[in-house]
Amino acid sequence: MKKNQLRMATLAIVCVACLNSVGAAANAQEFPVAERTLKNGMKVLVQSDHSIPNVALYIFYRIGSRNERPGTTGLSHFFEHMMFNGAKKYGPGELDKVMEANGGSNNAYTSQNVTVYQDWFPRSAMPLIFDIEADRIQNLSFDPQKIESERGVVASERRSSVDNDNGGLLEEQLWATAFIAHPYQWPVVGWMSDIEHWTIADLKHHFEMGYSPSNATMVVVGDVTPDEIFQLCEKTIEPIPSHAPPPPVTTVEPPQLGERRLVVHKPAELPLLLIGYHVPQTNHPDFYATNILRTILFQGESSRMYQRLVDKDQIALDVSSSVEPSFDPTLAIIVAQPKQAVDPQKCEKAIYEELERVKLSTITDQELEKAKNIRLMEFYHQVRTINGRANTIGTYEVFSGDYKKLFDAAKNYAAVTKEDVQRVAKAYFGANNRTAASLLPENDEKAKQ
Amino acid sequence: MSMSKKYNFFLIAIILIFPAALSAQSIHIPPHEKVAFKNGLTVLLLEKHGVPVVNFIAMVKTGSAADPPGQEGLASITAQLLRKGTQKRTAQQFAADADFTGGSIETDASADFSTVSGEFLNKDLARGLDLFSDALMRPIFPQAEADKLLAQSLDGVRAAKDEARSVLGTYYNAYLFNGHGYGRTADGDEISLTKIHRDAIVKFYEAYYVPGNIILSVAGDFQAADMKKKLEEVFGQWSSKPVTPVKIPVLPPVKGRKLLLIDKPDATQTYFAIGNVATAAGDPDRVAIRLVNTVFGGSFTSLLNESLRVESGLTYGAMSAFDPRKTPGPFGIYSYTKNESTVQAIDMALQVLQKLHKQGITAEELASAKSYIKGQFSPSIETSKQLGQIIVINEFYGLDDREINDLEARLDAVTPAIAQQVIQKHFPTDNLVFTLIGKSSEISAAVQKFADKQDARVISEPGFWPAPAQK
Repeated sequence: MKKNQLRMATLAIVCVACLNSVGAAANAQEFPVAERTLKNGMKVLVQSDHSIPNVALYIFYRIGSRNERPGTTGLSHFFEHMMFNGAKKYGPGELDKVMEANGGSNNAYTSQNVTVYQDWFPRSAMPLIFDIEADRIQNLSFDPQKIESERGVVASERRSSVDNDNGGLLEEQLWATAFIAHPYQWPVVGWMSDIEHWTIADLKHHFEMGYSPSNATMVVVGDVTPDEIFQLCEKTIEPIPSHAPPPPVTTVEPPQLGERRLVVHKPAELPLLLIGYHVPQTNHPDFYATNILRTILFQGESSRMYQRLVDKDQIALDVSSSVEPSFDPTLAIIVAQPKQAVDPQKCEKAIYEELERVKLSTITDQELEKAKNIRLMEFYHQVRTINGRANTIGTYEVFSGDYKKLFDAAKNYAAVTKEDVQRVAKAYFGANNRTAASLLPENDEKAKQ
Repeated sequence: MSMSKKYNFFLIAIILIFPAALSAQSIHIPPHEKVAFKNGLTVLLLEKHGVPVVNFIAMVKTGSAADPPGQEGLASITAQLLRKGTQKRTAQQFAADADFTGGSIETDASADFSTVSGEFLNKDLARGLDLFSDALMRPIFPQAEADKLLAQSLDGVRAAKDEARSVLGTYYNAYLFNGHGYGRTADGDEISLTKIHRDAIVKFYEAYYVPGNIILSVAGDFQAADMKKKLEEVFGQWSSKPVTPVKIPVLPPVKGRKLLLIDKPDATQTYFAIGNVATAAGDPDRVAIRLVNTVFGGSFTSLLNESLRVESGLTYGAMSAFDPRKTPGPFGIYSYTKNESTVQAIDMALQVLQKLHKQGITAEELASAKSYIKGQFSPSIETSKQLGQIIVINEFYGLDDREINDLEARLDAVTPAIAQQVIQKHFPTDNLVFTLIGKSSEISAAVQKFADKQDARVISEPGFWPAPAQK
């Protein structure tokens, strides 16, 4: 978890405030956010909540694996690790030690799109946290010995999350096949041979490219006032000079013109199936209708896919779907865990039939209302803690372009009609637009021979 | 897919059982009320307003430690089937009704207890309470649903074995407790799940799902007086009968050293657990144990993580955890490393453990752990769901609000001398149980040096430990 890559693949994180049939309840969850853009371009969002004497602080940098190049894939994520390995004032190992000794903890995650740093601390540690953040944003050091030991850590992370994890392995293959031009094709953690070969020069270049204050958004939620945060920022963060942001990612993935398929053979107890469909980026108007569609198809034991694959046909243990927040058109991924010895193609067939059913006739009013209720509950789950609120505010600000869209989400979900759901099903969930990835257990194949 | 497992993997039990310190003197658990219904049901009510949600937890004081040997998974299967058909609803109707509200009804079984949890918006309270009580009081366990669930669970075990890290704890506990109730695999195994039949499920339900064996915790946005009335209407008439509690004997720590190597031929990384039987919930030393463990392996700057990750880069993470239960539960050191550095990493973990015994912890380390636990505490009692869990677990283990309200003072009272006593008493030294999942052909010879007694299995062999044939 600590300082790792995190593919935020769950519906929950995609952040969805929701419609609400009970207006009063929604209003109770609207919270004032104070905002200021510092002179160096960093935007700061503050939400006061004095219910516990703690603070959650997030810094979102708009840099991720989409800003990398072949040969140095995974560099954003590796760099994220290095952000904990020493700067000018707080040397190697000191950041974590001083933070814990003052009651704080931290983590970070890297995705295809962003690198996010998180601090959770008691109010009393606030000046220290700003001192630490300012130190590492401007004076990160690159100790060659730390680079080597951290290389081992990241290699171990990759072994755990990809090489020894069938789901991670198959997902990596899926992205690499579904994208042929755009940088979403390589893994956030990086190819192993790239992990082994990064240089200190690569790291320095990455820092210079991605870590301008103007390329970041800070979100602070908890036992604070906006004024005290803005004052701390003026003192510690504002003097840090800005520079050019990373060059824009200009590569556009060309439309997929036909189904792509891939197979992974390896020793395994069970097969696995992933299907990816190209869908628009988070700030696209179809975001909401696509989420409603996925909710109806995949969420809960009453969902269409669960009822069909798990309950009725009994060919799968589980079926789910996810979309990450993204700047560029991305993938909606369906994961089905077939039962032992079930051919993944059997699951595929059932999934495709259910998708066709949504295209042929509209969903029911009851399903639409259920999906909206599920989104509402998810919204409460996201905003009921200071940590969840910091993440949600930042995610809306960064991926939807404005944190205020968080409060429009209810309206946007309410506006989704049955016809919208049918339209997005037809637009994005067709055969030519998909990549199907299967993992087949070698032992089964040997047994068949 | 989410790739983050490092901290939340093993620590959940600890967070629940050692509700930690306070970040400010003024923080207390909100007032709550305990009511005893005539039929023996214990009800806990905690009001927390703000988010319009109500959380229910029915804790049945019997868990997987009560599974009959050879029928591991019985408590879990029984719990899961509660929502798969009731006197009022088919499984499909139950799912439809629960999902429609956006709320949830979940079930779980761990070693000491089984739980049914419900979460609903307060506008859906009536429907939510009806669903929750329907699952708890009126399940009918349809044969077809039992068959379906057992078949799925069996494949679920196989799927888990495809990922070493997800079954390390299961193998470790099974090997450590070696036939004792705390070694039972809560989810069952490939053999035991074929031996569970409907009549055993019904018998388990009838024996243990009775009001006198249940603590019901309700936390969230409601008025207590009003809620009490509603609960009385719903649960007041539930008929009572005596329960014979399951005795869980105290297992003394294992003497000497033994090592189980699980062969996973495609592994490029070895996952390992090292430890012994340790402490029970409510151990008088629990606060000091938590403090010492924070220093040893319970935080990012812990001695273990510092050695194995930060300084040497051998692993993405190394940690240690106590899992206190009704009677002594496991303590374990957990980490992983590439095949070639398996021995080096285990040696290093053992050195850190020896160093803890020889040198103790410094005053500075102790002070840091105190700050850390206090500073991170408040977010663990932030939501009504968390609060509902804490009060029900305290009640189950015979603990009370002082676990939270006095914890800061209790932490402050721990001196380096007390810490040293706790290390000698509760952290194992020479008596150690090792469990490794990895590629045998590359590591088996080298890891023999760690223990005199060696055991080996292949991950694809059914069961965990003991091997089903030995039962």
